[in-house]
Amino acid sequence: MQPLASLLVWSGISVLGAAAFGVLALSRGETVNAAWLLTAAICTYAVGYRFYSRFLATRVFGLDDRRATPAERRNNGRDFVPTNKWVLFGHHFAAIAGAGPLVGPVLAAQFGFLPGTLWLVIGVVLGGAVQDFVILFCSLRRDGKSLGQMAKEEVNPAAGATAMLAVLFIMIILLAVLALIVVNALKASPWGLFTIACTIPIALLMGWWMKRWRPGSVGEASAVGAVLLLGALVAGGWVAGQPHLAPLFTHSATALTWMMMGYGFIASVLPVWMLLCPRDYLSTFLKITTILVLAIAILVILPPLRMPALTPFASLGEGPVFAGKLFPFAFITIACGAISGFHSLVASGTTPKMIARESDARLIGYGGMLMESFVGVMAMIAACTLDPGVYFAMNTTPAALAQASQVLGQAGFVVTPDFMRELAARMGETTLLARSGGAPSLAVGIAQIFAGATSVLGGKTLDALWYHFAIMFEALFILTTIDTGTRVGRFMLQEIVGHVWPRFAETSWYPSVIASSALVVAGWGYFLYQGVVDPLGGINSLWPLFGISNQLLAAVALCVGTTILIKMGRARYAWVTAAPLAWLVTVTMTAGWQKVFSADPRLGFLAHAASLAGSANPDTARLIFNDRLNTFVALLFMTIVTVLIVTSLREWWLVLSRRKTAVVHEAPYVETGYATGD
Amino acid sequence: MRRETERDARCGMRDAALPFPTRLMRVVRRIIGAPDYRAYLEHCRAAGHAPRLTEREYVKEFFDSKGTAGRCC
Repeated sequence: MQPLASLLVWSGISVLGAAAFGVLALSRGETVNAAWLLTAAICTYAVGYRFYSRFLATRVFGLDDRRATPAERRNNGRDFVPTNKWVLFGHHFAAIAGAGPLVGPVLAAQFGFLPGTLWLVIGVVLGGAVQDFVILFCSLRRDGKSLGQMAKEEVNPAAGATAMLAVLFIMIILLAVLALIVVNALKASPWGLFTIACTIPIALLMGWWMKRWRPGSVGEASAVGAVLLLGALVAGGWVAGQPHLAPLFTHSATALTWMMMGYGFIASVLPVWMLLCPRDYLSTFLKITTILVLAIAILVILPPLRMPALTPFASLGEGPVFAGKLFPFAFITIACGAISGFHSLVASGTTPKMIARESDARLIGYGGMLMESFVGVMAMIAACTLDPGVYFAMNTTPAALAQASQVLGQAGFVVTPDFMRELAARMGETTLLARSGGAPSLAVGIAQIFAGATSVLGGKTLDALWYHFAIMFEALFILTTIDTGTRVGRFMLQEIVGHVWPRFAETSWYPSVIASSALVVAGWGYFLYQGVVDPLGGINSLWPLFGISNQLLAAVALCVGTTILIKMGRARYAWVTAAPLAWLVTVTMTAGWQKVFSADPRLGFLAHAASLAGSANPDTARLIFNDRLNTFVALLFMTIVTVLIVTSLREWWLVLSRRKTAVVHEAPYVETGYATGD
Repeated sequence: MRRETERDARCGMRDAALPFPTRLMRVVRRIIGAPDYRAYLEHCRAAGHAPRLTEREYVKEFFDSKGTAGRCC
């Protein structure tokens, strides 16, 4: 493009984005259309990708297409395979996008649509996408090494061990909170439970098809699986209407908790081809298709946002969905979508082994994260198109709703019981009250958007069908994460115990497989159970813990990235990772401190435990123990990151003051055999 | 000597001779992380050695290594 034309185009995009932000920020009281939110996000992504990611690629990282990538040097036709950048973009996006970017923005909507949207859009451009890109680049230059290995080699061995421990603990909390979302969505929902239960035999059938009957026939098996899945979705509606069948699939949250734990254990013990892989394929197809269709539906309908830009809970800190003020809690509630430490595990996993040339890392690492942020923005739109009264009634337990009733009433966020009954009937449910976790309210938002787009085909029936489709879509990939997370946690535990008992590290030794799987399931199962029986709904305590742990893992990744940049002699550019690192540490440490030591019993674990002392409630002792356990976990996360930051700071100081020679552990330079520039 | 051009390797020029459904399935397999034995055989041919794995062995190894990879939340 000619320089003048380019200047005009990019100036136009910048002005349009600024105008959209102006409309969002200045609206008070009037309804805002989702189009403005989409415009602000897309313009910011475009400018960030065009200018900032290019700066990172050329000036900071010095990506070099003449340098052979691990995929070229170690090409084995299986793990290391040079792959087209657009195909790899899809692969990487499917691996990083899960329930997080959908649920986090829905929960953060209790502050209004503005804070979460600003964090999603600005956070990703300056933080999340930078983290993914830098870790992908570092792993690419190190033959696809993992984050833990890079922390060990580039910072020090203690940092490597710290990172590994952090990942294991984070995994436990992550699995508990994701399982809680599924439990809250499926409790007393025969339609939802029947559909999700059917995915297990469907996945098993697909597994046998791909492994035994027709090895490698993924396409056939997936097509059969998709048809059966849609059949199960429709059949679920019929089952829910049968007086003799519906009770078989109507269960309490506690019963579902035990089922989830049993499922997680079995999925971890069974061979991957039998359950994990087929479910993964099904969920990937469903995920990509649904996200594309949702994007198109939102662009076609352009729904108005009924949630205000800011709610009173942003400053009061007494939100019924979760306690705490906008700062720091909006920034830990939305992790995936803005910045997520978990992505550093994917960016140092399969993706760097498939990159054909270094410059592709820009599209895949930076661009992939922008796409995930866009998913978060869509989730925010879906949640904010709901009536605020419905949103709070769905995401709040009766106890929390009673505490916040005065503020909700003053803000006009009220809804009548009749309206909620009618809405539940329209969605094919008996009740939608107190379904905390974000997934059901997101499902109602998605169902309304989809039903709006397909209104010509049929009214109420399609509402219920779309609602359960959305629940199935969310539950399916949450269960995929539970499958893989439990298994990865099991491998990590086997490796750790293997240092003192080598036989335990054998991943095919069944006593070790069963014991380690049981321990990991017991770990996340305990936190899940604790969340299920929590009078405040569980999300209030577990989601902030998950947010803190995930953001602290991002801090670990940014520490590693900053260390490598300094060692590469790019210290003048170290701010690109150091600035988001400083922000994350400030946010997470503040949130962790408040969750532990706040005097407000709704916010602080210790204050909550103290408020329970002397209560006649028979569960008091257990609730107090849970508060103390949560305190321990929060302090543990904070300690782990403090250790890593101190060791990193020491390393930076030694290198910058020339007391230590900077040694980077990059793979040796080999010139590419591919033609460049054609 | 150039082993193959960048475009050959990355942009599916070698695949151009294949029917469209086969090419489409190859892309889908890569995106979802599914085994592709035919691509493995092509790799072996290009690398100048006989395939070391049968289709069953290849699928088994592929699934075994897949179980260790994480997925994000």
